[in-house]
Amino acid sequence: MEAQMTPAQTIDVTGKACPIPVVKTAKAMKAMGTGDVLEVLATDPGVEPDMQAWTKQTGNELLGIEQRDGVFRVLLRKS
Amino acid sequence: MSSSASPEALAAPAGADEGEDSVLYVMTHGLEAPERCATPFFLAASAAAMDVETAIYFTMNGPQLLRKDVIDKVGPKGEQGQRLRFFIEQALDCDVRLLVCQPSLDLNDLTREELLDEVEMIGGAAFNGLAMEASAVVTF
Repeated sequence: MEAQMTPAQTIDVTGKACPIPVVKTAKAMKAMGTGDVLEVLATDPGVEPDMQAWTKQTGNELLGIEQRDGVFRVLLRKS
Repeated sequence: MSSSASPEALAAPAGADEGEDSVLYVMTHGLEAPERCATPFFLAASAAAMDVETAIYFTMNGPQLLRKDVIDKVGPKGEQGQRLRFFIEQALDCDVRLLVCQPSLDLNDLTREELLDEVEMIGGAAFNGLAMEASAVVTF
């Protein structure tokens, strides 16, 4: 299980506002393989609802979001 | 193999796959309200990033925002922050279509050549068709 959660790629969009986190996430995920996990680091306060909406629409999986010291760490799996 | 295609599938117009979502934004403001100029591009870029077919239709004053000679001069926060070019290029990079109709060029005394090369000219019937097919139409 642990191996499946290991990100294949990380993108850092801290300090970037809407719509950059979603746009960069979509671009990164397009280049990844099915089952790969993407880690997104963001400070945009809207990132949680945005990622929920984005995964619902695109069919990718939102594995989790945690916040530490003002930075959201988002884990997504490409479906 | 073609005999297995359902009548419904045959009846569907080309490019109108069932369940394919699309959002059409309509921008009516131009240089008179620069604070309004960036948001449609923001939202359209977000929609396109969600694998949604996305277009912005510029009418009334809207085509003024697509002039090659203004996109480096105008921004939503005046002298501060990003210019219009940043927001337009971000949207284009996400495959957002930028649509304009001829009468709104006349209204603004503009020619096609004065607008960005990426702009697509459409007519009123095409706009209405897009609006009726879209999952959502958002007007600014």
